[in-house]
Amino acid sequence: MKSPVIKTAGRALTPFILLYGAYVTLFGVVSPGGGFPGGVIMASGVILVMVTHDSSEIKALVENIEWFDTIGAFAFLLVGLCGIVLGGAYLTNLWQGSPVMLVILDVVVALKVFAGTVVLFVYFFKQEVKSCSTD
Amino acid sequence: MDLSKALTLLALLMIGVLLINGLELDHEDRVDSPLHEFYMENYDEAGSINLVENILLNYRAYDTFGEVMVLYITVAGILILGEKKEGGS
Repeated sequence: MKSPVIKTAGRALTPFILLYGAYVTLFGVVSPGGGFPGGVIMASGVILVMVTHDSSEIKALVENIEWFDTIGAFAFLLVGLCGIVLGGAYLTNLWQGSPVMLVILDVVVALKVFAGTVVLFVYFFKQEVKSCSTD
Repeated sequence: MDLSKALTLLALLMIGVLLINGLELDHEDRVDSPLHEFYMENYDEAGSINLVENILLNYRAYDTFGEVMVLYITVAGILILGEKKEGGS
C-alpha cells in the first residue's frame, strides 16, 4: 500500500502534466515542441499515476492502451494515403500555406508516442512488480 | 574479468573512437547549402513558422513516418517477446 500523501500528490499533478503535454503538441507549429515531446510528456503524467498507486487501482486505466498505439501508427499511414488520393503524392500538404496538416500529423504522432511509451512502461513495471512479489 | 564485461568495455571504446572522429569532422562546407536558404524563405508555403516543424512534418514527413513505425515495431516486438517468456515459465 502506498501512502495517501504520495497518492494525492500524484493525482493532483497529473492533470497539469497532461495539459502541458497537450499544449506542447497543439502549439508545436508556433513554438518549440511537437508530437514527439508532447506525447512523452503526456505519458509521463500517466506514468506518475501508475508509480504512485497500487497496481490493482490502475488496471482499468491502461487496459486497452495498446489499441491507441496501433491506431496512432496507422492513422499516420492513412493521412499519408489521403495525400495520394487528394494531392497526388504520399503525405502531400493538403492545405498549402496553412498549418492544419501539421497539427493533424502532430496529434497523430503524439497519440502514438503517448500510447507506445505507456505500453512499454506498463510492461516493464509489471515485470518489476512480479519479481518483487516473488522474492 | 568475464566476457560480457570485456565486450562492454570494447563497445564503449569503439563508441568513444567514433565520437572523437565525429567531433573532428569538418562541417564548414555544409553551412552555405542552398537548402538552408530555401527553408528560411519558404516557411509560408510549408504552413508553420516553426522551421523544425516544417522540416519534420512537411518536407521530411516520410522520415517521421519511419520514426513512428520504428517505435511501433519496438513496442510490438517487446510485447511479443514478453508473451513468449510468460508462457514458457
